[in-house]
Amino acid sequence: MDLLQFARGPALTWALAIFAFGMTWRLAGILLLKRRPDYSEPRNATSWPGALKLIISRSWPRREFIQRTAFGQALGYIFHIGLAIVVFGFAPHILFFRGLTGLDWPNLPNAIIYLSGAITLGALIVVLGRRLIHPVLRLLSNFDDYFSWFVTFAPVATGMLAVAHLGARYETLLAIHILSVALLLVWFPFGKLMHAALVFVSRGSTGALFERKGASI
Amino acid sequence: MSGLDNIGTKVVNPLPSPPEDGLSGNADAILHEIVALLEAYTATGQTGAIDLHSLPLTLDDYELLRITLADGEVHAHIDAIGNSEVRETLYPGVWWVTYYNAEGDIVADLIEVTAVPEILKAPADDVREGLAHLRELLKQEQP
Amino acid sequence: MNEPDILGASLARSGISRRSFLKFCTAMASLMALPPSAAYAMADALKRAQRQSVIWLSFQECTGCVESLTRSFDPTLEQLIFEMISLDYQETLQAASGEAAESARKQAMKASYGKYLLIVDGSIPTKDGGVYSTVAGVSNHDLLVEAAKGAAAIVAVGTCSSFGGIPHANPNPTGAVSVSDIIKDKPIMNVPGCPPIPSVIAGVLAYFITYGKLPELDNLNRPKVFFADTIHDRCYRRPFYDQGKFAKTFDDEGARNGWCLYELGCKGPTTYNACATIKWNGGVSFPIESGHGCLGCSEPNFWDKGSFYKPLPVPLADNTPIITAAALGGIAVGTAAAVISRKHQTSISEEK
Repeated sequence: MDLLQFARGPALTWALAIFAFGMTWRLAGILLLKRRPDYSEPRNATSWPGALKLIISRSWPRREFIQRTAFGQALGYIFHIGLAIVVFGFAPHILFFRGLTGLDWPNLPNAIIYLSGAITLGALIVVLGRRLIHPVLRLLSNFDDYFSWFVTFAPVATGMLAVAHLGARYETLLAIHILSVALLLVWFPFGKLMHAALVFVSRGSTGALFERKGASI
Repeated sequence: MSGLDNIGTKVVNPLPSPPEDGLSGNADAILHEIVALLEAYTATGQTGAIDLHSLPLTLDDYELLRITLADGEVHAHIDAIGNSEVRETLYPGVWWVTYYNAEGDIVADLIEVTAVPEILKAPADDVREGLAHLRELLKQEQP
Repeated sequence: MNEPDILGASLARSGISRRSFLKFCTAMASLMALPPSAAYAMADALKRAQRQSVIWLSFQECTGCVESLTRSFDPTLEQLIFEMISLDYQETLQAASGEAAESARKQAMKASYGKYLLIVDGSIPTKDGGVYSTVAGVSNHDLLVEAAKGAAAIVAVGTCSSFGGIPHANPNPTGAVSVSDIIKDKPIMNVPGCPPIPSVIAGVLAYFITYGKLPELDNLNRPKVFFADTIHDRCYRRPFYDQGKFAKTFDDEGARNGWCLYELGCKGPTTYNACATIKWNGGVSFPIESGHGCLGCSEPNFWDKGSFYKPLPVPLADNTPIITAAALGGIAVGTAAAVISRKHQTSISEEK
């Protein structure tokens, strides 16, 4: 068995199994937790509009802090959108999803993918640099932050090398790329990357709570 | 008309649109190399050759080479496992030699700089063998 | 025969003109990207050279490799290679059979000990003492070891002798292995392909006879002149890959337009061979040009790398049952954790 066979075979199988197990474990564990009973009289009868409002308002810089947070948030948007374009728009990736789920959708032209990939890589490097330089961010960061950054960065970087045929033979680059994705899948449910599944859940429940209390959102 | 004719086919040129004149610049490089080979040949008698397959040439590159070098006085045709065409160009000593296989595909395409390309010369061994055959023939004819 | 078996003389006996021979050398030099001057040097050296003694052993194979070299359009330049070698043993091509054939092989091995070129096609069975393929009662393994001792070099022609090939494919009932799995102390060149391109076989043989050594080899011992690039690198459909234009089925608009076959399982990007440049059947076309993806036949284990029609990025195994089981397990563990946590909360509030 060569490296590519290992990556496409057992490595991916194990990674996908761990990913599925971890995701469902954590989601079930969190969503089925007991809510603390709230005995106060609700200001508003329905709380879901608050949930929606907070999801939207927290996705945008607050006017008071815009000067301080705009740069960081812009960076975040850039690499998240870039990742989405690369992950869901590139023809070989769609083949991967089709192989797993049977779903199919049209791909984007490769030129757009390469450009997004390059911008994403740049943004990710700036994000890491900012985390290392910014005194407060640096103090807040732990292994989880750096490792989550690494497992996000690695697939993009190795994928770009693979399409450019740079550094090694294509089959080796493709195998390393798939292995880096396997690492991402394994880490995803257990680190901060889980925010992808939980970010709107937590914002939503905070918003619902605020709405019930009648706090301004 | 067979049923196959109903199947629509389309031929699309997969190459990205070439530059306006369709030239890669390699034809120009070859012409300059020919000059260098001719200089060497006139100065020292050193013969030279360029394998046209070793460089990517567009159709327009070939056209430029054909027009620039043009046909000279000699055009020879060799029949040995398929055809071979040997043409002297307008520039004496510069030969365009093309080897075809039995199916007519080009197997080698060369520019040679020499007085007479090697392939045209009768090899000494072949001459000796030919002589022997002719002698044999005459011997048999005599009573 | 009293006169030494000089190549020039034997060519004359076969009625091959020296011009034809020079043409062959020029074509081979051009094919291997040698400088044009090398053709004359090659012709000169070969004319004087003794005919190279070649012993060709066929093991677990389908004879497709020999067919590739001998049954192409006739007459071809590639077949001239047979004028340049003294093929002392080749079961398919030799007239002799039985004891006469075996004694011819032994005689050739003795006469040119240390100098002959050993060509092997087919893999070697090793299971159960190698009983699955024998010649005159001798197992392929023993025959190979014996013949390799006196060989100047070994050329493994075809994917079977290079990497084990189809006999080696899962579950490999005969324990088939490649030549290089058995012979470790001789220079070995692999010329894989199922079958290899005829001019590639002829080219590397001409190179060995001219220079007395094997050409430069890559990490899998393949001659670099022919196996340096992937099919994908040299494919005329490559621009469509770069533009993201793919045929989705073998009869859709994309297929008719000649778009890239990547999504239909083409293994071109991971296959090193010269099909896209030299092509097949006297330069007519190669598989992708005929509308079918590359199978990757010149790569190790090509038979066991998933379906020929499974695209490269798709996982090899069907992971749905495992993912479903893992997800159900996750839900069970998560639910159990939540239940325990709820009980814990209740017991805390009861204590108060």
